[in-house]
Amino acid sequence: MAKDNFTDLEQLLAEFEASDLTELHVRHGDLEIFLSKDADAAGLGGGPVQVSTAKAPVKAGKAANPSAATASAAPAVEIPEGAVIVRAPYLGTFYRSPKPGAPSYVEIGQDVSDETEMCLVEVMKLFTAVRAGCSGKVAAILVDDGAMVSADQPLFAVMPA
Amino acid sequence: MALKRVFVANRGEIGLRIVRAAHAQNIEAVIGVSDADKAGLGAREADRAVVLGPGPAAKSYLDAKLVVQAALATGCDGLHPGYGFLSERAKLARLCAQHGIAFVGPEADVIDGLGDKLRAREMARKAGVPLVPGTDEIASAADAVKAAEHVGYPVLLKASAGGGGRGMVIARNPAEVEAGFAKASAEALAAFGDGTLFMERFVPEARHVEVQLMGDGQGGVLHFGERDCSVQRRYQKLVEEAPCAAMPDHLRKQLHKAACDLAASVKYRNAGTAEFLFDVAREEFYFIEVNARIQVEHPVSEMISGADLVQEQLRIAGGAAPSLTQDQIDLTGHAIECRINAEDWQRDFMPVPGTVTRWRPPSGEGVRLDSHIYEGATIPPYYDSMVGKLIVHGKDRTQAVERLQNAIADFEVEGVPTTLPLHAKIVAHPDFIANRIHTRWLEQTVLSDGTE
Repeated sequence: MAKDNFTDLEQLLAEFEASDLTELHVRHGDLEIFLSKDADAAGLGGGPVQVSTAKAPVKAGKAANPSAATASAAPAVEIPEGAVIVRAPYLGTFYRSPKPGAPSYVEIGQDVSDETEMCLVEVMKLFTAVRAGCSGKVAAILVDDGAMVSADQPLFAVMPA
Repeated sequence: MALKRVFVANRGEIGLRIVRAAHAQNIEAVIGVSDADKAGLGAREADRAVVLGPGPAAKSYLDAKLVVQAALATGCDGLHPGYGFLSERAKLARLCAQHGIAFVGPEADVIDGLGDKLRAREMARKAGVPLVPGTDEIASAADAVKAAEHVGYPVLLKASAGGGGRGMVIARNPAEVEAGFAKASAEALAAFGDGTLFMERFVPEARHVEVQLMGDGQGGVLHFGERDCSVQRRYQKLVEEAPCAAMPDHLRKQLHKAACDLAASVKYRNAGTAEFLFDVAREEFYFIEVNARIQVEHPVSEMISGADLVQEQLRIAGGAAPSLTQDQIDLTGHAIECRINAEDWQRDFMPVPGTVTRWRPPSGEGVRLDSHIYEGATIPPYYDSMVGKLIVHGKDRTQAVERLQNAIADFEVEGVPTTLPLHAKIVAHPDFIANRIHTRWLEQTVLSDGTE
């Protein structure tokens, strides 16, 4: 598993190098990466001009319940053989529920059909509901809630019925 | 008592606009930015930039406590909220007041009162401002059907806490009212956490007109004429002009007086806009709402009045009187503004973040651009898609339209799609040139050829 992660990391670095992006922040399970083409970038620790500690509650919430965080993230790494991948329609923020605090659209193991709404992807205030586009069981959720996803990035693996 | 250092609690073109207005008044500007905006023009031109938090607005621009904390930590004595984000949250105005920071806008209680549409209607009624025939809160679908008989069809069901077209349903008969009531109420509950509805007469071919106001907080209110913002898509304005050329002079005078009376009745402080529906056929106008902030389209009023509204805002927030009296506000010529968004209008106005690789704005007599974009600028995916506002001024509407046509044609942008090609279509359309438009014209005419 560790080996797979490093392969992914190499690929991510290569894609970031080649892209127009200047900064990339990825959090996946316990792994957090901050890439920047700007030498003065604040990085994960926050820059010298940072006057805020507002990021804390989000992380604290996760840390306070580590088992839940790993439980939802752990199966995400494996994509089962034969699964159909549901992808992001465009670059944007991935949301698992219709609004903060609401139940998720889908959970692992849930049956879905063509029209089932799986998540929201938001770019610049435009929210798009992503539908399964196939029938089957949700086998894996590949992205954490609130993460930035790129166009065509795999979001879910669905095992066809 | 003039402000010494103002905190700019916004981004994009308006963030930059406020920084420059502050400097023109010899006021220092500190801008709060997210990680995504650290390299922007606003941060570069400000005397200081502080990072509020990560890109997502909820963790940076929308966190009122954080914003006020940052203003205090940097020794600011004023705070300008711009438009959008926290600009009409009474909470921000209240926090500023608690910490001795002059909020560049109305008092918190006034924002609260005007933010609730039913209370705002009540204020308007008391001030003698015409309202569209309508109702107060409606309790049930059955009551809605009864009320519609008095209001007159077609009717519009609207969310009390609403905005942006959500929780809004048009009904042409009792059956549609009954079905629409459930739908609008559910939508309003989902969007605003409050399902309360009221009803208004629906004017099928209306113009959206609004009056630019500036109050001194003691009952004195100046107006800078009206704007016509009838080119809209899904209740979002795309093109705004000043004055409203379709309005007869006698009605214009009444409109300005109504708007000033309303603002004076609440001792309105700083910049605001009273919005009205203009029923061209009946020659009547009805109050819609007051926006308690500087608006996106304020430049068209500046172009016809010669005033700098953002500088006036800073002056008033510092305790001074406006620099002008009503007699000195001389409205001349005609101005038009296009909102340029980084959107692919032919793909259902899909917003497209990315890097602007070419940015060659037009110039020339009567041409103005308000924008934070430059070649190599990145448009982050977290915020709205507006990349700038192109504004022209001419001696009359005909000359303004001509100048706008040329300016749009000269504008070169590459790297991201923009709405400029749509604007080119709009300003070349015979209806637009002849000023035969209304609020649903764009959707029914220009956008109805299968691209929507």
